[in-house]
Amino acid sequence: MRYRNATAYRFLTPYLLIFAIFWIWPIISSFLISFQATRTLPWRFAPAFNWGRLIGDPAFFNALKNTLLILVIQVPVMISLAVVMAVLLNSPLLKARGLYRFAFFAPVVVGEVAYSAVFRLMFSLDFGIINKLLNSVGLEKIDWFSNVTPAMALIMIAVTWRWAGYNAIIILAGLQSIPEDVYEAATLDRVSKVKQFFHITLPLLKPVIVFCAVLSIIGTMQLFTEPFLITERGGPGGGTETLGLLLYRQGFRSLNFGYASAIAYTMAGLAIAITLVQLWLMREPK
Amino acid sequence: MAAVTLTNVVKRFGTFEVVHGANIAIADGEFVVFVGPSGCGKSTLLRMIAGLEDISGGEIAIGGKLVNDVEAADRGIAMVFQSYALYPHMTVEQNLSFGLRMNGNPKADTDRRVKRAAGILCIEELMQRRPKQLSGGQRQRVAIGRAIVREPQVFLFDEPLSNLDAELRVQMRVEISRLHKELGVTMIYVTHDQTEAMTLADRIVVLKAGNVEQIGAPLDLYDDPANRFVAGFIGSPKMNFLKANVVEQDQRSVTVELANHGGAKLKKPLCEALPAVGTEVVLGVRPEHFFEVGEGDCDIPVKADVAEHLGSVSYVYANAGAEELVVEREAARQRASGDHFTVSIKAERSLLFDKTGARIR
Amino acid sequence: MTSRSQRRLGRSILLHLFLTPLALVWLFPLWMMVVFSTMPDNGIFSPGIELLPHDGFLDNFNNLQRDTNFVGAIGISVSVAVTYTFLSVLLTSMAGWALARYEFLGKGLVVAIIFGTITLPYAVVLIPQFIMVARDFQLANTWIALIVPPLFNSLGVLFMRQAFSMMPAELFDAARVEGVKEWRIFLFVALPLARPMLAALAIILFLASWNNYLWPLLINSQPGAMTAPVALGTLIGLTKVSWGGIMAGAVMLTVPMLIVFVLLQRHFIAGIAAGAVK
Repeated sequence: MRYRNATAYRFLTPYLLIFAIFWIWPIISSFLISFQATRTLPWRFAPAFNWGRLIGDPAFFNALKNTLLILVIQVPVMISLAVVMAVLLNSPLLKARGLYRFAFFAPVVVGEVAYSAVFRLMFSLDFGIINKLLNSVGLEKIDWFSNVTPAMALIMIAVTWRWAGYNAIIILAGLQSIPEDVYEAATLDRVSKVKQFFHITLPLLKPVIVFCAVLSIIGTMQLFTEPFLITERGGPGGGTETLGLLLYRQGFRSLNFGYASAIAYTMAGLAIAITLVQLWLMREPK
Repeated sequence: MAAVTLTNVVKRFGTFEVVHGANIAIADGEFVVFVGPSGCGKSTLLRMIAGLEDISGGEIAIGGKLVNDVEAADRGIAMVFQSYALYPHMTVEQNLSFGLRMNGNPKADTDRRVKRAAGILCIEELMQRRPKQLSGGQRQRVAIGRAIVREPQVFLFDEPLSNLDAELRVQMRVEISRLHKELGVTMIYVTHDQTEAMTLADRIVVLKAGNVEQIGAPLDLYDDPANRFVAGFIGSPKMNFLKANVVEQDQRSVTVELANHGGAKLKKPLCEALPAVGTEVVLGVRPEHFFEVGEGDCDIPVKADVAEHLGSVSYVYANAGAEELVVEREAARQRASGDHFTVSIKAERSLLFDKTGARIR
Repeated sequence: MTSRSQRRLGRSILLHLFLTPLALVWLFPLWMMVVFSTMPDNGIFSPGIELLPHDGFLDNFNNLQRDTNFVGAIGISVSVAVTYTFLSVLLTSMAGWALARYEFLGKGLVVAIIFGTITLPYAVVLIPQFIMVARDFQLANTWIALIVPPLFNSLGVLFMRQAFSMMPAELFDAARVEGVKEWRIFLFVALPLARPMLAALAIILFLASWNNYLWPLLINSQPGAMTAPVALGTLIGLTKVSWGGIMAGAVMLTVPMLIVFVLLQRHFIAGIAAGAVK
């Protein structure tokens, strides 16, 4: 290859400008702001102001606890479900494949606001279709919005509904890249379908599954719209408040940019840790 | 039309040197083939001539003009690629005219050139098709046509026939030869196939690991290779190499004893410095240069392992000591595996190499 | 003894018996969205179970339009999404082309920065972006505020870089030898060949912009400047509001995308499968 500096940068510059202004600089700036007291003008450098407050703030730990709880329960459930969907959608025995694909993949195009509204309506106490259906089969109706456990469950159900198909698409693509003859060889070796799944499919899918898990974790960590709109600003009483929501409240309701930046960087720290774990999981065996 | 001169051309990728100072002078109108095993630097050299790779050291001149810093497009060259590199989203006609159209060449002239190239290559009926709808041979013609349209001073071919099947390859080889005669333009052709090199070239440049091993006319390389590598690379099947020791020396010749053939001796006249008695040497004999008993200067008995009969000619693979010999015979249809027979080597039809592979003349 | 085909049939029935209820559960919220959007509010809040659509969509839409200027908001959403998609495809494919096809000083650094920061949460840049756009540039409640900052998305760059580097290098060399200028090679050789990838990228970017909520919520909060999701979001949780209207809005946001999804499923799936967008 020849070196073509001028040409290359002519193609790159427009994007790099935007990238620098709206991504790289904010990353740095946010870090700096997190060390400043921003409640009063002019802002002043006070490292302990936000970070000190963070480690003593019950609201922060509540949000952190909720976020991690959702992560730990929702992500594995959703990924498992996505694997099942993908494997079954890939089955040569399946008829009307297009319809099933539509059913599972359609939520991918639904916006957060639209589906939050629907879930809110479906799960409402007295008039929600879910409680009506529970009643009709003789079960107690559940107060999804006034108690913490059902409210958390509702958030997890909603997020799972919205994102399982998305992950199934990625996993399905991974499945389809596994060569057919591997399975043919296994069948000739009298390996059952179930064993094929655990000993061939899953190991070969591992990189894809790890990729999905990391995407989902980073997405869920920033969860905002669902607790904002479905459970009404993280209700009941902060029971579903997430880090994303706390950041919004601190940054854009109280206009406390320094503290919100410290929260943001806590999320970034978690994301970096998770990325490192991913790299470690995906490392080539020596 | 133009001559191409390479002076001490060096190519480095980072600190890794892949071409170590190549000196090649190509005359105007000559057909030169760069040949060598993969990784020898032949394609890199061609791409440097084309201007697709930077030149790390040395000079390249085309038509007497230094082109080190000249863009590919301004070097007066056209190139035919191994994968044909046809634009898949354009018709044959658009493929042929793309370069000219993009550079604002007058439409009438473009049409004339495209028509001429299509005529030369007999692809007039294919003009509205897309590359996907063409056979391998047709794609190859279009790729060559695209080069012709440029009316270049120098044609560059990068392994253009390696994606074709054997029959088509022979056919296109003849076609490229014809094209060279018709256009009379300088052509530089890269291949790993010594048959292509032998049949096409006015002169062959043999390369190995970034070094020019020898430059010469095809038959000169065959008759008088500079070293063991060239001797082995040119000719098919490969030349046999027999281990030997110098046992006697007189005024103008040495006698060597073959190490693996029961003390058979050959007296070989030489014209340069003679190797000392006791020196280990290698005797090279082409499969087609084994003669009937008594016809040569040294008889060696062999036992056939495998015999291949191609009709006009037979190849007998014989194991003798640690050495596998290939013997070519015109009338040997009766030979079968397990047969014992004797072949004879002529001194003037054998070559002597020292332990490093250099020729002893 | 059961034959091969009987065993296959048994497995097939089992598969469908499991997958069909799951598919119905998955479709249920979408179906209910449509049903709600056609019911009057007193229908939605009646004790009976209603699972079939009525004919009240237009009434609900009128209620929605009374609560907020939804048609105007849709207009903003469409214009913003179209402009954003065009600009983003252009910028990211140019950058992807340079990274895939040129050697240049600083390439390693550029790639390292893009890759190294790709998993950072968006939340990190939210506050500085907001301060910059709203306070420093005074651009809150403008189209520029909605379109330009989200253009930083680097996944598109990596996607297009991948697309261009999978094309045979000889194709571009051939054009170069023919004296075709670099930007024309990009425009007339590379881009046409990348059409399927461009389609996938464009669809994913359009969808992302269309559904984007948090950034437009923060930066364009004035009634006349809201995008459709933001306008709809302001109604959720209000006491005196038409839920049928909200559902009509949800349907208007969702159904066009579902149609696009069905028509262009292949590109959609290609885009998502390649991880084009988080």
